[in-house]
Amino acid sequence: MGDTLNKVKITTAFEGKPNARALKTYVDNGGYTALKKAFSMQPAQIIDEVKAAGLRGRGGAGFPTGMKWGFVPKDDKGPKYIVCNNDEGEPGTFKDRYIAECNPHMLIEGMIIAGFAIGANKGYIYTRFEFFEEIRWLEIAIKEAYDAGFLGDNILGSGFKFHLDHYTGAGAYICGEETGLLSSLEGKKGQPKLKPPFPAVSGYLHRPTVVNNTETLATVPFIINNGAAAHKAIGTEKSPGTKLFCISGRVKRPGVYELPLGYPFEKLLNEDAGGMLPGYTLKACIPGGSSAPILTPEELKGLTLDYEAITAKGSMLGSGAIMIIDNTMSMVELLKVTVDFYHHESCGQCTPCREGTGWLANIMGGIAAGEGKKDDIERMNEISARMGGRTICALSDAAAMPTMSIVKKFGAEIADYIERGIRA
Amino acid sequence: MHDHHKPNTKSEPAPAFTPALRKKIEGYLTRYETKRSAILPALHAIQDELGWIADEHVEILDKDYGLHRVQVREVLTFYTAYRQKKPAKNPIMFCNNIVCCMLGANEVIDKIKGHIKKYEERGMEAPFSVEGVPCLCVCDGAPAMIVNKDRHLKVTKDNVDEILERYAELPR
Ligand SMILES: Cc1cc2nc3c(=O)[nH]c(=O)nc-3n(C[C@H](O)[C@H](O)[C@H](O)COP(=O)(O)O)c2cc1C
Ligand code: SF4
Ligand code: FES
Repeated sequence: MGDTLNKVKITTAFEGKPNARALKTYVDNGGYTALKKAFSMQPAQIIDEVKAAGLRGRGGAGFPTGMKWGFVPKDDKGPKYIVCNNDEGEPGTFKDRYIAECNPHMLIEGMIIAGFAIGANKGYIYTRFEFFEEIRWLEIAIKEAYDAGFLGDNILGSGFKFHLDHYTGAGAYICGEETGLLSSLEGKKGQPKLKPPFPAVSGYLHRPTVVNNTETLATVPFIINNGAAAHKAIGTEKSPGTKLFCISGRVKRPGVYELPLGYPFEKLLNEDAGGMLPGYTLKACIPGGSSAPILTPEELKGLTLDYEAITAKGSMLGSGAIMIIDNTMSMVELLKVTVDFYHHESCGQCTPCREGTGWLANIMGGIAAGEGKKDDIERMNEISARMGGRTICALSDAAAMPTMSIVKKFGAEIADYIERGIRA
Repeated sequence: MHDHHKPNTKSEPAPAFTPALRKKIEGYLTRYETKRSAILPALHAIQDELGWIADEHVEILDKDYGLHRVQVREVLTFYTAYRQKKPAKNPIMFCNNIVCCMLGANEVIDKIKGHIKKYEERGMEAPFSVEGVPCLCVCDGAPAMIVNKDRHLKVTKDNVDEILERYAELPR
């Protein structure tokens, strides 16, 4: 069992340092030493180390990273790819952009190591277009890494070749879904594809491709430098390591906090983030981004921030977003914004998602406009119950899950709104 | 779904490709594994240089660069970043997702819309346009907006005018 209170800094190690983003700052503070170490290891050894470290994907699903790398066919000598999912779009999340701001080189180093481990000679960082500054920072860092010989045909004389490029999205939440992202990278509409085959076997241009979140990849140099045991010593048994938590809403210090997994929610809210702003009370919290089921103050009592504990409460850790909902927020407005978002972002390939999100948005539009009907809540339950588990990607579930939870836990408030035609 | 993609209804003349833009696009054609991957960056480049993407531009991509018009149009209409008609001088993307909404985004959007209406009532072309957009993923700085390419955080109805005046004079 690791330490769940000790605030080790991994992906935010350069936070607050002058010229944090510069290659020189990174190298002066031990940057790119993990890469040198990795070159002295066998690729299979690196994958084993990441497996033993218990690193789980930080993009939302929490899939074991080493296992994903292990799915890439080893005897396939053709091109393979590493793709960094930097499309950060999950409402409530703002952590990957912080890595671009604090230490883009940690991400780049992680990508080169990942490439060496799976035998990929090319990588892409895919970022949403609205991150104008972050994209510029990443492009500068890539250039610096080329100039210093950390990227190129024969990196540090190892004989390993790795090229890295940046690709900019164009405004579509669905491109955060890994197969949608790969479609987009191929210059197409960002429509997800049915799995299997998984990208690790058939991804970008039908070639083996590992897609990992920015935070996941940025954690790799720490693991290689310090060993799996050092990573396992942080966090809980099943959720090792640190996580970037994004706390937002009416708290005194909203922001990104790197904390060991298993950290107490109340400590984050009341100590790190300074508690609620005076005059406001905690009404609910959405952990994990807007796709995660909402939690009531009762459910938040004693909650620890790790995959298992949040799942046990019926929600999910997801991307590490912690949206603090205060007493000013109407649950009708919250649910309306949520379903409108998924309706807008549905790519339209699957009927349950395309139509289901549309129906939910219509019902919520009606309720908000004071034209709600008595059976609306029941209809929303029926619709959402039919949206999960039967579509190409998980966006449909991501719309259904929060809807069901809000309707279940705050149904009385919504029913009251329907009755009065306006907020009480 | 993306119902705000309307074809170019105003008959604005399409600005011509500049040599710099052509050079950029040519670079993209060979930069990726397949030529098709050049479509998104080429459209971004056109919009950056010329403001929006006109039908004529799609034809140039097809005829001069071999990027198939159907494939280009597919991308152009799928993604919300691309504008198919001439935008206002300073387009504003205002986040109206959960956190920004909770912290008053809609009031600020309404205030900006009020300004735009005033320009129009006076027969002037509004130097701003505003659209509500999904989470900009800077929720610790909510309410957030992007004007052109500049991000502004903690935008409230009390400070929004001061920010907008950096771009254009507001109607009195
Ligand atoms: C609708 C949808 C949106 C997603 N958006 C993101 C995203 O913005 N960033 C991200 O890293 N993963 C996102 N994911 C998860 C990815 O599909 C994928 O699981 C992840 O990039 C894998 O990386 P990881 O294992 O390192 O977490 C999304 C998934 C779905 C279904
Ligand atoms: S579930 Fe929705 S977003 Fe995902 S592929 Fe189907 S229609 Fe598209
Ligand atoms: S909700 Fe507005 S930036 Fe996230």
